[in-house]
Amino acid sequence: MKHLTKLSIWAVFLILVAVNIYVFLHSISLSDRINHFEKGIKNLHQENLTLENKIFEVNSLQYATSMAAQLDFTQKAQPVYLENLKYARSQ
Amino acid sequence: MSKQKLLFIVFFLSYVAIIVKLIFLQIINPISSDANYLKTSRIVPERGKIYDKNGEPMAVNKSSYLFYIEPKKIKDTKEFVKRVDAVLQMGEASLEAKVDSNKNWIAVKDGLDRTQKQSLQDLGLNGLGFEDRFQRSYPESSLSAHLLGFVGKDSQGENLGYFGIEGYYNKDLVGLPGILKSDRDLLGRPILIGTQQKLDSENGRDLFLTIDKPVQEIIKTRLRKGLEKYKAKEGCILLVNPQTLEVLALSCLPDFDVEHYYNFSEEFFKNPAISNLYEPGSTFKPLILAAALEENSVRPADFYDEKGPVQIGEYTIKTWDDKYEGRISLTRILEKSSNVGMVHVGQQLGQKKIFAYLKKYGFDRPTGIDLQGESYGNLKPETAWYPIDFATVSFGQGIAITPIQMIRAFAVLVNGGKMFKPYIVQKIGSGEDEKNISSKLEKQVISAKTSETIKKMLLSAVENGEIRWAKPKGYQIAGKTGTAQIPIKGHYDPTKTVASFIGFAPVSNPKFLALVILREPESSPWGSETAAPLFFDVAKELLVYYNIAPE
Repeated sequence: MKHLTKLSIWAVFLILVAVNIYVFLHSISLSDRINHFEKGIKNLHQENLTLENKIFEVNSLQYATSMAAQLDFTQKAQPVYLENLKYARSQ
Repeated sequence: MSKQKLLFIVFFLSYVAIIVKLIFLQIINPISSDANYLKTSRIVPERGKIYDKNGEPMAVNKSSYLFYIEPKKIKDTKEFVKRVDAVLQMGEASLEAKVDSNKNWIAVKDGLDRTQKQSLQDLGLNGLGFEDRFQRSYPESSLSAHLLGFVGKDSQGENLGYFGIEGYYNKDLVGLPGILKSDRDLLGRPILIGTQQKLDSENGRDLFLTIDKPVQEIIKTRLRKGLEKYKAKEGCILLVNPQTLEVLALSCLPDFDVEHYYNFSEEFFKNPAISNLYEPGSTFKPLILAAALEENSVRPADFYDEKGPVQIGEYTIKTWDDKYEGRISLTRILEKSSNVGMVHVGQQLGQKKIFAYLKKYGFDRPTGIDLQGESYGNLKPETAWYPIDFATVSFGQGIAITPIQMIRAFAVLVNGGKMFKPYIVQKIGSGEDEKNISSKLEKQVISAKTSETIKKMLLSAVENGEIRWAKPKGYQIAGKTGTAQIPIKGHYDPTKTVASFIGFAPVSNPKFLALVILREPESSPWGSETAAPLFFDVAKELLVYYNIAPE
């Protein structure tokens, strides 16, 4: 009986040690993952901002104006309006 | 001593050592131990974005970094300075001056982009670090410099909005910073059984303006061309919806580069449309005439005998061309912009009522527009007015007002007599936090009937004025020119004028009201030859943009 008790105590002790080691390693792994995700979120946020700014830039009137100039969509394509509306109406 | 006892003593001493150390760490010197693990960082909120009325961005944020150094960790200062300067190009001397080895932390340069940050990190030096920041970015550059203002720093080094929207709505835009307290190991990983507290930051509120970006582009482009064509020193165009007084566009030149505001002196930051006083000249005449019509001091069908100059005390008042037509109608007074005719109208109205209407039109107080930097008008107390002041104010001289005051008062003539408060932000925040701002009626100044009468007179002033402008055909556009001499050291300089035109279209149901002001145009001093053609150029484009059909 005494031998069995001793064995049980050792078993419990070993289990506790194993659980402790597991919890320690698991917490380190979790910390690593938290750290990884924190950095990931930060990077994503910064990339989002960068992309958002690029979208705003290409959507801007300034960009449209520069593209229009590059594509020669300026004087030649300037609409003739208002003063000549009566011609349009009469046709 | 048995082996068991020896083992017991060793274990016992070890426990005692651990307990002593714990007492030291937790009770005797708790701060120093925490400082090694507990990292407290500030979570910087994102500044609210600014959009135009269609949700197009006007001011947004981009990532930037504050570069700092920890001098105590730097081994070789000279080498450090040399290598860092190779990236930042700040000048080795100024960089070396910043490295104070007595300090733990020194901010070196703000506003670094990702490439610069990466280049510095690639140096692999000890004692340098970066703090995440946000920097304002303007997709349309300086399209609306005076409207938006800029974001600078306060005395604490924190972002602070100056001038325009950024200044007026700084509290809404700035947001609330958050705090992160977290126990971290040597590798920066969180210690899960330690302190982990996070108070999230609250980003600033977004603002949605009444400004229409394409319209803003139209007026700024036209104004720039106008300044070149008429060789004017400065210029402003204000465009509002006269039915609500929401500002649709506002541009003044010269302005400044919003991203590099620090290269400009303070005089460029002031928005002349709300901060500068000017004498409105003949654009003021319809306001006095409307007041006289409202008070039945004159009737629309009345005539005035324009015989010649008018004498007020020691002063002689003439028409702008010193020509006199004899018997003329009130409408003709506006058409030919007769100063003597307006003196007659002013005399019919009476001095007390003139002053009362100046107050009713709001020239004794700021408009309250939601832009930082609005000036107060300079309306003298009634006791300080002489008869000549009442005579000259009837044709817009001797009174100094801001352009925004002028357009607010003129909108009363156009919208049926109602005075509104001008505004530029129509929505604050988004989602559940959304707050809509609508037009605010302040009072009824003149009746709808008087408004209709004066609108017809202003239409006639454009149709039958002294000059035939290149108006868009098929549309009814009304307005009034103005040319005011600039007062310098107590007298008027005849060579320097403020040329202006205020007009609206379509007359039956005005969609826009625009005020064009050119300061000291050299090609011609007259508003009719400078500001008016510029107004019609703008009007042509706006009629197309707003898809307004010919009447």
